[in-house]
Amino acid sequence: MRSLWRASVIVLVLGMAGSVVAFQGGSFGVQGRGSFFPQSYSDDSSRNSKEPSEFYWSRLRYTSRTDGYGGYGGYGYGSSWSRDYPKADRQFLMALKRLTRIEARPTEQVVDLDSDDIFNYPWVYAVQVANWTFTDAEAKRLHDYLLKGGFLMVDDFHGTADWDRFLAGMRMVFPDRPIEDLKDQDEIFHVLYDIGARFQVPGEQYVWSGRTYEKDGYVPKWRAIRDDQGRVMVAICHNMHLGDAWEWADDPRYPEPFASMAFRVGLDYIMYGITH
Amino acid sequence: MFEFFFRYPARVFSQGSFVLLSGWPKWVLGLLLLGAAVVLGWRIYSRIGRTSHNLKYWQASVIWLLESAAVCLILILLWQPAMVIAELKPHQNVIAILIDDSRSMAISEGGITREQQAKLALQNNVLAELQAKFQTRLYRLNSSVSRVDNIQQLADATAPATHIGDGLKQLLDETSDIPLGGVVLLTDGSDNSGGIDRDTIAALRNRHIPVHTVGLGAEVVSPDVEVDDAVIAPRVMANSRLSAQVTFHQHGYDGRKATLAVRDGDQLLASREITFASAGKIQSQELLFNASAAGAKSLQFSIDPQPDERNRLNNSVTRPVNVESAQRRILYVEGEPRWEYKFIRRAEDDDKTVQIVSMLRTTENKIYRQGISNPQELADGFPVRAEDLFGYAGIIIGSVEAGYFTPVQQDLLREFVDRRGGGLLWLGGHSSLADGVWGGSSLVDLLPIVLPTHKDTFHRAPAYAELTSAGADSLICRLADDPDANARRWKKLPYLMDYQEAGTPKPGAAVLAEMRAGGSKYPMLITQNYGRGRTAVLATSGTWRWQMSMPLGDTSHQMFWQQLLRWLAADTPSHIVASTSARTLLDDGHIHLSADVRDAEYQPAPDAKAEAHIIGPGSISSTIEMSPVPDTPGSFQADWTADKSGSYVAEVTAQKSGHALGSDVVTFLRADDVAENFHTEQNRDLLERLAQQTGARYWRPSDLGRLTDDIPYSEAGITMRETKDLWNLPVIFLALLLMRSVEWLLRRRWGIV
Repeated sequence: MRSLWRASVIVLVLGMAGSVVAFQGGSFGVQGRGSFFPQSYSDDSSRNSKEPSEFYWSRLRYTSRTDGYGGYGGYGYGSSWSRDYPKADRQFLMALKRLTRIEARPTEQVVDLDSDDIFNYPWVYAVQVANWTFTDAEAKRLHDYLLKGGFLMVDDFHGTADWDRFLAGMRMVFPDRPIEDLKDQDEIFHVLYDIGARFQVPGEQYVWSGRTYEKDGYVPKWRAIRDDQGRVMVAICHNMHLGDAWEWADDPRYPEPFASMAFRVGLDYIMYGITH
Repeated sequence: MFEFFFRYPARVFSQGSFVLLSGWPKWVLGLLLLGAAVVLGWRIYSRIGRTSHNLKYWQASVIWLLESAAVCLILILLWQPAMVIAELKPHQNVIAILIDDSRSMAISEGGITREQQAKLALQNNVLAELQAKFQTRLYRLNSSVSRVDNIQQLADATAPATHIGDGLKQLLDETSDIPLGGVVLLTDGSDNSGGIDRDTIAALRNRHIPVHTVGLGAEVVSPDVEVDDAVIAPRVMANSRLSAQVTFHQHGYDGRKATLAVRDGDQLLASREITFASAGKIQSQELLFNASAAGAKSLQFSIDPQPDERNRLNNSVTRPVNVESAQRRILYVEGEPRWEYKFIRRAEDDDKTVQIVSMLRTTENKIYRQGISNPQELADGFPVRAEDLFGYAGIIIGSVEAGYFTPVQQDLLREFVDRRGGGLLWLGGHSSLADGVWGGSSLVDLLPIVLPTHKDTFHRAPAYAELTSAGADSLICRLADDPDANARRWKKLPYLMDYQEAGTPKPGAAVLAEMRAGGSKYPMLITQNYGRGRTAVLATSGTWRWQMSMPLGDTSHQMFWQQLLRWLAADTPSHIVASTSARTLLDDGHIHLSADVRDAEYQPAPDAKAEAHIIGPGSISSTIEMSPVPDTPGSFQADWTADKSGSYVAEVTAQKSGHALGSDVVTFLRADDVAENFHTEQNRDLLERLAQQTGARYWRPSDLGRLTDDIPYSEAGITMRETKDLWNLPVIFLALLLMRSVEWLLRRRWGIV
């Protein structure tokens, strides 16, 4: 009986591990830390995605506050950085390919802050940034990355407490650079699509809860941090979940207007990042 | 010595005509010469082997030569040889004596000034002998000539400048109605107008007036350092990198180090250490500096004074430069959103003199415009009218296939470079160059390369940029002023994100940088001039990685692009291009203004009205109308005189049918009392050339005693044909005696007497 229990536990653990791997659609390999070519593609989950491209959908991998309980270490899959990954990324890339002339790889790219490899990807996307933490070296790397011309889009964090935790990390990067609300006439909303009336884009939870907000994040905040020339270098999507909208865009239960808004915002942000 | 053997001066033989005075036919002389040689030859050779003397053939030949030469010489003398030469008639001709009295003639050498040397040379019987044979006129020479009655009336060499050519031309004008037989010019050759123009030489030769030059002063001044010149662009864009080529030489400081500097007023712009080469050698050094803010500037290039230097006033030169504030607009056409686009625009953000106006194809049917000046600009896509496209100074074509441009637009692009004088730059990309089928376009001639014939030339693989020797000399690729530091900085650049096989550079194109990828090298940056403009290819779209991968604050990427785009646009002319005959006027204020005027489509505008408004020191303000240049449509000209020393700014404007075509600004400088501080050594080369070109001689003061024997042989003035017999020349008798003596000695030696 005792040995049967042990065998059951082992099977259960292996099964869980296998399912996680299957969900991620690839190996646990981490992309190269050195040369951009060709190690960087080693973490791609698609076997047919090795072709180099002009644009890579780059998802920022960072150390989460909750990673101590995760079991995969600070950078493991299943941490905060990988929310909606990779389906949201790939569905967005389909839209990018279809609606723009950007030559983009059809699969995502994971980039880390503990490597200079991030400088090969001037546009990165980060989610659940209420949970991000930086070492001093990582904060400096992100600081330099942004001031040299990199662009960061953050998404999927909600309410006052999340904002405060996001800010704690961002203040390690830019201790005193102001964060401002974007206005309708800001160029970032007009590069590809003229996005006038914006509304809160909820996550998948809207399907069963009917609420567009989470926690106390009732009002969507379209915010930004600018460089010295006034260019947006950090686009902050607070109290919304664009990543979920991309991920669930093909679910008939998820309302089309939310997905459509999310795609348009994402495309504008990318187009802004590649032109400013 | 010459005249001892030949009786007459060498000029008689160099200028005179050889004649035979005898009335006997010349053909008889020819026959006799031939017959004598044959007879003598037959006599000598017929004896070989028939006598007891064992005479060899070569010995017989020597004897025959000597005997024949003697007989022939005697035969020629029988025909009365002579030289016929024009000679000035005594007392009927005028000899003009010009004495330089500019400030350089006050330089003292051996306790005596150059002007005093001139006076002494003349007073040492030379002047008296000339006056005995000719009428003489004394002139003072500086920027012009003025007559003096006697040597004592000469001033103490205080004139600020010497213009030998102008002085001679004036002398010719003033003596057109008198029999001027020759000119004696006593000078150190220090000419402030840069030499003697061809017209003056031609006028002297037309009147056959010999100009005998007498060189005064040391041919080497030592120890001394002199800045010879500073070559710099007359106009430059504000805050751009400026290169000046400074030439200098020295005597007495071989191997010593000094500092070469450029200043704008009291502000030091740049300096570098130099090491003097061997004495007298012209050295050239480049100075790089920032042009800083717009405005008309007088830049001073100087070498710090050296210990015991004899002349410190020739250690610096001043050059006017017009730093322009006008913004140049560059049209950037990009076929797809990509990082290079973003980072090129960012690199130019800090450059207030270049603005990028871009049109980016974000989708198949959308064009995103940036940098436009009004909502209508580029609203309909790439311009189809010359007046719209020619408003830009440069064009960048990114990853755009040739077929994107209609035939009309391609013709406009050609005219943009060829007629407008703009710059056109192609970037690498997967729709660029060979992959964009540019090799089959009508613009293939504009490309500085012969594109590959195959496709798939664009590779997303790393490539390392390498500077070529041409690139090391180019301002486009200067990331550091010092050439070695620049080379090191290029080696530190991270690899490029991609590269494209650009093909083979055309003859005349310059490859400034190459790319190393996969064990092969490819041209990276290729430039060439085409028509009035210039074209270039940058066969990559991966320089953005320099910005992202270099440490924060590194300016390599920014500098490279700013310099490349300034090269592309800076020399693109506006509707009016003004120029001056000189940028620095030395003691003479006359200046010739020229302007090339073009209409809205940059066609010559001969029916325009052009005028120049000149502002100078002391509230000088003058407006002059410029007149069309005959047979050169669109060219206008005017002459003006700057009366005061200082900097001048001339703004040339033009209008056509009441509409202003534009304006251009040129600067020039009048510098008085400066030229005489330079080239203080005797310019013997100039004086020798002047004498030689007018059929006269260069004289040292110590040789001047023979001038009176030489000067009568002139075809100017009132002359007579003189016949100089040659039969009684001592050299002929000596030659006969020598030939016979040698023959006799040889016969004795060979035992055939």
